Amino acid sequence: MPFVRFVGFSVVRAWQGFWRNAMMSLAATATVILMLVLLASLFIVISGLNAGLEFIESKVAVTARLEDNLTEQRVERLIDEVEAMAGVATVDYVSPEEAMDRLEASYREIGRVLDLGDADSPITLFASLEISLTDPDASADVSAALSENGAVERVLTKQAEYDTLLGIINVIRTVGIVGVGLVGLTVLFMIINTIRIAVYSRANEIEIMRLVGASDSFIRWPFILEGILCGLIGAVVTIFLVAAVWDPIQPAMVQVFQMPTAVSTRFLTTLSLLLLAVGLGVGAIGSWISVRSYLVTVR
Amino acid sequence: MTSLLRRRHRAEPTDAPVISMVDVGMTYPNGKVALADVNVSIPPGDFVFLVGPSGAGKSTFIRLLIREQLPTHGQVRVAGRDLLRMRRGQVPGLRRRIGIVFQDFRLLPNKTVAENVAFALDVTGAPGATIRRRVPQLLSLVGLQDHAHHLPTQLSGGEQQRTAIARALVHDPAILIADEPTGNLDPVTSWEIIQLLIQINQLGTTVLMATHNQEIVNAMRRRVLALEGGHLMRDEAAAAYEREY
Repeated sequence: MPFVRFVGFSVVRAWQGFWRNAMMSLAATATVILMLVLLASLFIVISGLNAGLEFIESKVAVTARLEDNLTEQRVERLIDEVEAMAGVATVDYVSPEEAMDRLEASYREIGRVLDLGDADSPITLFASLEISLTDPDASADVSAALSENGAVERVLTKQAEYDTLLGIINVIRTVGIVGVGLVGLTVLFMIINTIRIAVYSRANEIEIMRLVGASDSFIRWPFILEGILCGLIGAVVTIFLVAAVWDPIQPAMVQVFQMPTAVSTRFLTTLSLLLLAVGLGVGAIGSWISVRSYLVTVR
Repeated sequence: MTSLLRRRHRAEPTDAPVISMVDVGMTYPNGKVALADVNVSIPPGDFVFLVGPSGAGKSTFIRLLIREQLPTHGQVRVAGRDLLRMRRGQVPGLRRRIGIVFQDFRLLPNKTVAENVAFALDVTGAPGATIRRRVPQLLSLVGLQDHAHHLPTQLSGGEQQRTAIARALVHDPAILIADEPTGNLDPVTSWEIIQLLIQINQLGTTVLMATHNQEIVNAMRRRVLALEGGHLMRDEAAAAYEREY
């Protein structure tokens, strides 16, 4: 029961304190929201790019376009050779007809009709081997071996796209983390200041509390909870903001980043928990620093 | 009325001093000597005046008793506890054994009389039932039962000081320290406050009152501790006090 009374006392006093110093509290909460919106944006973009990276990895890693007029035996021998290479997972043969069907299908998807030109001299596509890898790093070795094979006309890989995307992710991640860190520091100072002002404005009350024998916990925790309240309100508002813009964002994430996880509620739950944890953490740390430095000097 | 002030300190040996200072000295970092080799022993139930001019060391004396400060040297014991060996976490427990009132009352202006008294119980985790029972008892003791819902701004100086005294008594303290409690009051009201302190003292609470009021000290003829320049110049029972400034 004493603990329940302590918690009740602290929560009620924190709530009263938040609204007694409403302008400063709301300003601190607004900075928390700003930081968490930035964090949420960064999380969404990084998650999207990571999913895109996985998508590229999961797709055909190496495509070997074959010379014309290869015999069936020659193609089968080539497939056996490629399957025996280190780092190769699967090898699929794509005939010229199947390649044409895919091309037509991709045109249909974007609402256009494939113009095959003069019917007397029909366009034909190359046959190819689509090779998936167990290890994306094996791409270079497999490509080199295929290039030297006489049955292969040209080798195409996704390595360049992979490297480009990885570079973009690293830049965005670094810039994003630095940006969120800087805003986070601003928020921390804002909360430290808000709570310090609250503490000074209630200096008489604290003095009386100390003289009548209130423990440090009874003096400190209402202020710490007040800081946590700034973080909590900031996090909840940000979660609602993300939820509000989630419907337009979600299909874009699926289309742009090829990110199937975006459609799952688990992604939104993870993001919400992250926002909640960071909001509460910043609020708690800021107010703890503020109250601790004050009480250490006055005891 | 005796039941209003239950004595937790009765368990202690009756002859053990409730306040004891042995060779206590206090020198501030700037070199100013606030107290020098002070030896004082106050038994339970005593009524003691602490007198002296401004800067004599009265405030430092009181701050040492409530462990707001620690002495540079010497030993301070209050209510059976050695304040130098006390851990930070034990300080609130000590302060619940000491009630303290000030010249400027230090009431919370946005709380009523009853809320000001209840606040002292609330912030120490007292159950609601205890608060509801205890506050009317204390307001009755100090004669403010009809002013429970008044704000401090609606009270006279004497009534505000009575509220502060009720608040100081919420934890049944062994000692009541009154730092210039009549400093802001007219002579008639001052005597009313002194009568209340005597009443509280008669119920067993040790009272230490710092004052400049020569008339009150001389009329009361109680024990007087006279400080000057940080030195205890006089410690006399049933003494008088003559201001020389």
